[in-house]
Amino acid sequence: MSTRRLIVEPRGLASTRLKLLVPVASVIAALIVAGIFLLLTGESPVEVYAKMLDASFGSQRGIAETMISATPLILTGVAAAIAFKMQVWNIGGEGQFLMGAIFSAGIAIWLGDGFPATVMIPAVVIAGGLGGAFWAAVSAIPRVYLGTNEIITTLMLNFIAINFVNFLIFGSSSPWRDSAVATFPTGRPIPDAARLPEFFFRLDVGIFIAIVLAIIAWYLMGKTRWGFAVRVAGDSTDTARYAGISVPRKILGVFLLSGAFAGFAGGLFVSGPVGALDPRSLILNLGFTGIIVAALARLNLIAIIPVAVLMGALNNSGPALQSIGVPTATVSMLQGAILLFAVAGEFLIENRIRRPESVTVAANPEPETA
Amino acid sequence: MAFKRWRLFATLMVVIAMVAAACSSGGGDSEGSEPAETATTTAAAEPAEVLKIAFVHVGPVADKGWSWAHDQGAKYVKAQLGDAVEITTLESIPEGSDAQRVFEDLAAAGNKLIFGTSFGYMEPMLAAAENFPDVAFMHATGYKTSENMGNYFGAAEEGRYLSGMAAGAATKTNLIGYVAAFPIPEVLRGINAFTLGAREVNPDVEVQVVWTSTWFDPPKEGTAAESLLDAGADVIAMHQDSAAPGQAAEAAGAKWVGYNTDMTEFAPNAWLTAAIWDWGPFYLAQAKAVIDGTWKAESVYGNMADGMVALAPFGESVDEDLQALILEREDEIKEGIFSVFPDPIVDQDGNERELGDIFTMDYFVKGVIGSPTG
Repeated sequence: MSTRRLIVEPRGLASTRLKLLVPVASVIAALIVAGIFLLLTGESPVEVYAKMLDASFGSQRGIAETMISATPLILTGVAAAIAFKMQVWNIGGEGQFLMGAIFSAGIAIWLGDGFPATVMIPAVVIAGGLGGAFWAAVSAIPRVYLGTNEIITTLMLNFIAINFVNFLIFGSSSPWRDSAVATFPTGRPIPDAARLPEFFFRLDVGIFIAIVLAIIAWYLMGKTRWGFAVRVAGDSTDTARYAGISVPRKILGVFLLSGAFAGFAGGLFVSGPVGALDPRSLILNLGFTGIIVAALARLNLIAIIPVAVLMGALNNSGPALQSIGVPTATVSMLQGAILLFAVAGEFLIENRIRRPESVTVAANPEPETA
Repeated sequence: MAFKRWRLFATLMVVIAMVAAACSSGGGDSEGSEPAETATTTAAAEPAEVLKIAFVHVGPVADKGWSWAHDQGAKYVKAQLGDAVEITTLESIPEGSDAQRVFEDLAAAGNKLIFGTSFGYMEPMLAAAENFPDVAFMHATGYKTSENMGNYFGAAEEGRYLSGMAAGAATKTNLIGYVAAFPIPEVLRGINAFTLGAREVNPDVEVQVVWTSTWFDPPKEGTAAESLLDAGADVIAMHQDSAAPGQAAEAAGAKWVGYNTDMTEFAPNAWLTAAIWDWGPFYLAQAKAVIDGTWKAESVYGNMADGMVALAPFGESVDEDLQALILEREDEIKEGIFSVFPDPIVDQDGNERELGDIFTMDYFVKGVIGSPTG
C-alpha cells in the first residue's frame, strides 16, 4: 500500500448542502449509468423512466399504491434507524415485523367480532408493537447481560420468525389458519372492525399512523432527555458512563423500541392491505428493505418518510416496466443500480477523497473546511 | 408539518410524471401513459378491435415448467389470432395482497382478459375483479369465482397415474422419492395418483415424500432430491416448477419423472416421462369468447380427453411393452373407462375409506411415506 494514489479520510461534519446534493447527484448518476445499460440492451431510457414515474405517481391509483408500499417501509426504516443511531445493530427488522404481524392477527382473531373499530384498531396496532418488541427482547436481553453479538442473533431470529409464520399457516391447525379453506392453507381473515379504513383507492389510514409514529420517534430521540442520553451513549459509552447514564438500560430500551416499530409495521400491514396472517402477502423483505431506507435517509427519522415513498415507488414500478417489454432481469438491475449509487453517495458524504500533494504533506491533513 | 411536506412532495412528483409522460408521448408505445383514471373503466372507453390480454405468472416464464407451459399457451393464442390480440406477460409477480395492484394496473392499461396462473392470486384477483367489472379475469388452480372472474385447472392426476406406472417399473430399490411443493389437495392428488400408478405395475413400491415449501427454488429442490437419493431412492418424481430434481437424478444415475413440460433436455438419461400441460386451446377459446362477447365466468376442469393434460414423450429407458401398457391405460382414461382413484380407497395406514371430494383431498394412499400435513 505504499504507492496509493488517493487518500480517503473522514470528512467530519458534512454541510447541509452536501447532504442534500450528494444523494440527488447519486440518483442522477445511477439513472445515467442505468440509462446507458438500457440503451445497450435496446430500451429507450426516457421511455423506461417515464413509465416508472407514471406507474408510481402518474395516476391517483398509482400514488395510492405507492403510499401503501411506503407505509411499512417508513416504520421498518425508523426501526433500523433508531437502533443504528445507538450503534445497536438490529438487523432483525424482518423477524420483528413478522412477530408484530402474528401478534396483531392473533389479538384480532382472539377478540373476534363484537368489538367496535375504536377498540380493535388500537388493539392490533399495540399488539404489533408488543410482538416486535418481544422478538427484539430475545436478542436484546442476551446482548445487554451476556454481551452476545446482536447482529448474529437478530439475523437468525429473522429466519425463525419466517419459519414460525409458515408453521402457523402451513404446518399446523393454529388459530391463525383459516379452517374453512381446505384447498390451500391460508390465514384466517381478521374481523372487519380490525381493518384500517381505506380512504383513497386501496390506501388505508395506516399511512397516517406510520407518519405519526415516525414523528413520535423523531421527537423521542431528538427532543427528550432519554433521547439525548441514548445519543450520548451511542457516540461513546465511556462519556455516557461518566455522565451517569446507564448504558445497558439505554441499549435495552432502544432495542425494544426498534423492535416495536418493526412490529407496528407488521401490525399495520395485517390490519391494512392484507387482512390476515398470510405468509405470501407478508414475507416481502419489508424488514430488510427498512435497513436500506434507514441508510439512504442517513438515519434521519423524518427523511425516512420521503425515502420510503421513493422506495415504495421503485418497488411498484417493476411490473409496469415488464408490461412495456423490459425484461425482469433488467428491472432488477435498474432498481439495484439506483440503490447502489445512493449508498455509494453516502460514502462521499462521510469521507472525502483527494490526491496527496506529496508524501510528507499527506501526513499532515489540512484542517477541516466543512 | 411532515404531512404538508409530503403533500408538496407528492404534488411535485405528479408534476414531474406528467411532464415526463408528455415528453415521451412521441414514442411508439404510449398507451401506458393515460390520465388519472377512476376505479371503474367504462366499456365505451376503448374501441374493441385489438383485444389486450395479460398473463401474470408467479415464476419466470423461462422456468421450462409451470409458468413456461402457460406462456406457451399465450404464444399459441398470438400465433392463432395474430394482430387481433396484444399480449402482455408479467413474470415473477409475488402472490399475496400486493398482487392486486398488478392486476388493477393491467386492467387500467386496457387489458380486457387477464389470466393469473398461480393459486395465491385468488384473493387479490377477486378484489381487482370487483373494481374492474368489465374486465374478464381467469384464475388458475383456485376455487373462488365472481361475476367477472372464472377459474380453470386440469386433472393432472390422470397424467400422474401414467407417469407413476413408468416410475414403478423403473425402480430397482422399490423406493421412489417425491419432491413436493406444499401439502395442499392439488399436490396430494398428484402424489396419490402417482403412487397408485406405480403400485399397479409394482406392488412393492413405496413413495417417500419431502416438502420444499417452494414452487420454484432450484437449489432447494435439487437438494431435496439428493436427500431422497441418499435415502435409497433410485427414481425421483416431483411437483415443482424447476428441473433441479431431475438434474440431481441425472447426476446420481437415477431415473426421473418430471412435471409440467417435456423436460427431457435437462436430464436425457434420467428422463422417463411426465404429466404435462397444454393450455393453448383453452386460452384460445377464452380469447375468442371475449372477442365474440360470449365470455362468461366459468369453472373449467380440463383433462386428458380434452387435451389440457397430456403425457410427455417417453425416455429411452422405457421399454416398448411398458409404453404399450401405459398408452392402453391412457386410452381407457380418455374414454372414461378407467378412473385413477378407486372408491373406496386404501389410505396410508391401510384402512379403507371413502374417496370423498378429490378437490379437498387431505390424506395419502397406501404406499406413501411421509406426512400429508407437511
